[in-house]
Parts: sequence; C-alpha cells; structure tokens
Amino acid sequence: MASVSLRGIKKQYDNNQVIKGIDLAIEDGEFVVFVGPSGCGKSTLLRIIAGLEEIGEGTLDIDGVVSNTVEPSRRGIAMVFQSYALYPHMSVAENMGFALKLAKVPKHEISERVGRAAQILQIEHLLERKPKALSGGQRQRVAIGRAIVRKPKVFLFDEPLSNLDAALRGQTRVELARLHRELRSTMIYVTHDQVEAMTLGQKIVVLNGGRIEQVGTPVDLYERPANKFVAGFLGSPRMNFFDATLAGAGGRSASVGLAGGVTVQVAADVARAQPGAAVTLGVRPEHLQIVRTGQDGAHDGAIGATVTLVEYLGDVTLVYAQADGAAEMVAVKCDADTAPPRVGSRVELVFPASRAFLFDADGKVFAPGWVASEEAPLTRVL
Amino acid sequence: MKHRAQLGWTVAGIVACVVLAALWLFPLLWAVSTALRPEHETVSAVFHWLPQEWTLDAFRTTLGAGNLPRWLFNSALVSLLVTVITMAISLSAAYAFSQLRFRGRSLLFGVAMLAFLLPFEALLVPLFRTMNQLGMINSYAGLVLPQVVSPVVIYVFKQFFDAIPADFREAAVMDGAGPLRVLWSVYLPISGNIVWAMAIVTFIGAWNNFLWPFIIVTSNEMMTIPLGLTQTYDAFGVRYAQLMAAALLGALPVALAYGLFQRRVTQGFLAASGLKG
Repeated sequence: MASVSLRGIKKQYDNNQVIKGIDLAIEDGEFVVFVGPSGCGKSTLLRIIAGLEEIGEGTLDIDGVVSNTVEPSRRGIAMVFQSYALYPHMSVAENMGFALKLAKVPKHEISERVGRAAQILQIEHLLERKPKALSGGQRQRVAIGRAIVRKPKVFLFDEPLSNLDAALRGQTRVELARLHRELRSTMIYVTHDQVEAMTLGQKIVVLNGGRIEQVGTPVDLYERPANKFVAGFLGSPRMNFFDATLAGAGGRSASVGLAGGVTVQVAADVARAQPGAAVTLGVRPEHLQIVRTGQDGAHDGAIGATVTLVEYLGDVTLVYAQADGAAEMVAVKCDADTAPPRVGSRVELVFPASRAFLFDADGKVFAPGWVASEEAPLTRVL
Repeated sequence: MKHRAQLGWTVAGIVACVVLAALWLFPLLWAVSTALRPEHETVSAVFHWLPQEWTLDAFRTTLGAGNLPRWLFNSALVSLLVTVITMAISLSAAYAFSQLRFRGRSLLFGVAMLAFLLPFEALLVPLFRTMNQLGMINSYAGLVLPQVVSPVVIYVFKQFFDAIPADFREAAVMDGAGPLRVLWSVYLPISGNIVWAMAIVTFIGAWNNFLWPFIIVTSNEMMTIPLGLTQTYDAFGVRYAQLMAAALLGALPVALAYGLFQRRVTQGFLAASGLKG
C-alpha cells in the first residue's frame, strides 16, 4: 500500500500540452477514479504514474519516494491494461508468473503466488489454458491476477471494463470493489464511464482538457459540482441546462429569467454577480417534475415544454421535451408507475428551488443558498 | 448459358495451369533424365526424352570424385550462419525501428531502406577490398559477413512488429523486461511464423548464392555448391550427366528443408499479409 502524490505535473507532445498542471494527493489504500471525456488526459496521467510516459514537468512521489525517473518495474506498481495485454503464446499461469520469473523469484514461490491469486479470482481451473481459449471476463481476471501476484503498492487500471458487455461489466465492478476491500491496496482507475466512477471510486478526479475540474467523493461531485462541466458530466441523463439572465437577488436566493420568458427562483448566493448577468440554470432530470398545462394548482415559474420522446426503462421513464426558448431538449426522470404524458402534449416543468444550480458565464457554480418560501436553509447533503 | 461459360473458363484455367506447370517442371525433369544417362548419351546427336540406358554412374562419380561432400558442408555452414546472423540483426534492427524511440530513428531507417536501391553487384569491388584488407579472402567469415544484412528482412519484420499492439511491450516493461528480453520473450514468439518464413527464404537465398562466393573463394576446399558445380568438367569439356547429378544433389537439402517447413513459410506469409488462411 502506498500514497501517490502529483505536484505540478505537465506533459507536452510536440506543441500540444496534454497535461496542463496537475496537483493531486492520493492516500494510502484509496480507490481513486480518474474520469473524463476522451482526450482529457486521464490515460496519459495514468501512464505517467506507471512510468510509460515521461514527465514533462513536475514531481511524482510514490510512497514518499520521488519516482520521476524510476523504471516502471521498480515503482511498486502493477497495471491492468484496457486490452488486458495477455501474452498470447503463454499459458495463464505463465502470464501471471512472468514478472516474478524476470525478477528471478524461485519457482516454488512463483507457483505459490500464482496459485493464491488464481484462488482469489477463482481462475484455478484456467491456469493451463492460453488466452485465446478464454472469454472476455476470464481474460480480465487473468490480467488482474497478473497484477496481484506482483504484490504492488499501487494498482493501475486503464479502462479495464470497456471491452466487456454490460452484464459482465456490472458483475466485474462488484468484484473489483470486493478486491479492493480484500487487498486494501491503493488503486487508481481510469474510465470514461461515469457509472463506474460513481460506483467504484472513494474519490473521483474529474479531468477535462488536461486539467482537474474537481476532486471529491461521488456524493460531493454529484450534489455539489464545482462547475458546469462536472455538473453535466456526472448523471445520466445529464443535467438539463437553460440559458438565463439574472433578474434579481434577495439574500441567498435569486430570480432568474429564462429564454421562454419565465422567471424562476433558485436557491443560490449570487452576491458576486450583477442583475442582467448571463447565467446558466442547471436542474437534474430527477428533480424536474411534470405538471400538465391547465391542471389545477399549476405553479408560477413553470417552464412550458412540448413532449417529444418517451423512453420506458423498466424502473424509470425518461421523458424528453422541447422547453420553450431552450436550444436543447430537456430530460425528465419519472417514476415508471406513473403514466407518462403523450408525445406531442404540452406540459409544464417545475423544480424545487433548492435542487437547482446556477452557473456564471465562466461555468463556475454559485454557492447554494435558500429560498424564503421554503421552510429551512436548504442543503444538498444527503 | 452462364454455366457453360463458367465451365469454359474453368477448363481454360486448368489447361493454362498444366502448361505452366509443364514449362516449370521441364528443366527439373530434364536434369533428372540427364543425370540418369551415361555420359556419352548426353551428347548424342539423337534426341531421347528418357535415357536409353538407365545408370547411376553420374551420381557415383560425383559423390566419389570431386569435392561434393565438402561443398555441401560449406553451403550448409555458410547458409546456416548467414540465416542465424541475418535473423539476429534484422529482428533487433526491426524491433528498434518499430518500438524504440530515439533521436534519428526515422533517418536511420531511411538510410537502411536506401540499401534497397543498391544492387549487390555495385558493392562487389568495395566489399572485396574490405575483405582483403581484413584478411578474410577465401574464408568462412568472408563468405558470411557480407550476406548478413538484408533491408528486405528488416522491413518485413518492422512492418509485422508495427502491427503488434504496443500494450504487449508495455506490459512486459511493467513486468520488468528490458528491450532485448521483450524482443526474445514476447515479440519473437508472437512473430514465430514470419520469422520461420524469412529464415527459410534467407537460407535458400544464401544456399543458391553464386556471385559472392565466386568472388571471395579462391580454393576448391572453400567452394559452395553453386560454385562447385562449375568444376564438373575435364579436358574433354563439361560432363553433363555429372553436372546434373551434382546440381540435383546440391539442391536436395534445400528442397527437403523447404518441404519440411513449407507450412511455416505459408503461414508466415499469410501472417505478414494479415489474412487468416
């Protein structure tokens, strides 16, 4: 087990700066997930930690030792590749024992460690097979087993589940979580899949364009996103964004005018902004509620919309609607037991003021506040 | 109608293949026929497809007199050494060009490939002078060394290595393997078939090489088979039956080797082409 510390890490390819200054501390035994869109630098950062890429600038510490120029095999690190990278001409046992063989570990010890790892991963019956005789899930386990036998201080995973089908992905996620509990090792996991990030990570690092957007627990990032990018990246369907103008502010709430002419209340502290400033309203699909137009008790500040698509997913129903004045479609997550509106029908969308986010013109979130009409200062802590 | 036209094309194709096969086989069959005749029949004014008198005298004389066993040994040794050293150099160079990153890599590869443009004949004089200065005239070293660098083989290996996912190399590096170890333990086994194919082609090329041994060898003892075959004459001229017998005996080891390893050669070329086969 070991801590990993990155200070001022930069990396450039020709004239393209791919890592623009990363400062990050990973605690001993933590399961950290690097997540972000393609090209954000997450894999490059992982490869820098692994030693497969040179550091342009900055310092990498592994377990308190500066490791910028240390050989990959001497960093106490093992990596599970996206393609598994199992040597096709070697059996499963030979694949798993290759690193130990290179390290001149005695044969009986290699056999013992391979056996133990195979037991943990339940692949004892596969040890004599070649990789081509294995299923995707089995190859995945062998790749993890190859990492385990080395008893590394840090495990690195580079999108290890991306080649698996959905069912196997879910199953393997559970296995990985179990493995982390059992081994108590530091694990750094790269994925573009926010579901994997949210379910596996104790700490999530959201990357974009070579920079860290936000670091925090899954709850932190979901409930208290630091900016529009993080808010939109996590959550499926993604957060709905409405272009808006700051109409007014009172205490720790704000009135926001939307493109369709509607004014809504948002619990946000907008003291640093001026009325008339361009802002973005963000509301998650599960916080939007559909009210049919003309229904008794229709709310003030409701956003008019026309339903364009209804998707039944079994446990929830997703309703997509074109909101008045909005450029993009709005997604609403409804309870599957409730009858959804028909496609083409007019509806109104409402939301609790405390569940909306307000972002400034640079995408930075306004601090949460409260709305006078609601009973208590509202928090978004679950 | 369509079926008849298709049948016509099939028959025409078969006939063409038979004609081409016959044209290809004829020299070989004629060599066998000549080797099994008595010497006087080979210069007879009357033409016969088959020997009038079947005899193994030419083979007996070739094996008994002359230096055929020695020439066979020289050919085998030189071809084997050329093959092993060429494979070692080519694999290492191809791996470096394909997988390693160093300053001047592209330029160096370009220079290596420029050697494609140089015919071997253009290098005969400078090579001979170099071998002479090194005291390697009429020696195994002199026979082997100029033949061990093959841009073609380097290129084929490099192309093949380029197609191998870099993850294998990186995984091996993470496991603690250095470049040579990665080449030996990972890339070589993965490239097995193509290595066999190139090795066999190189072996055959070295075995059949006449020009360079002709230049560098000055004694009967150091001759290889192609060179030795030119010695099958006496005061009365070329002894054709013996010549054919020597040629057949000289080609036999390579033909056997190719027959044994033909499958690997085919698989190697299929692997290089990306076809499943």
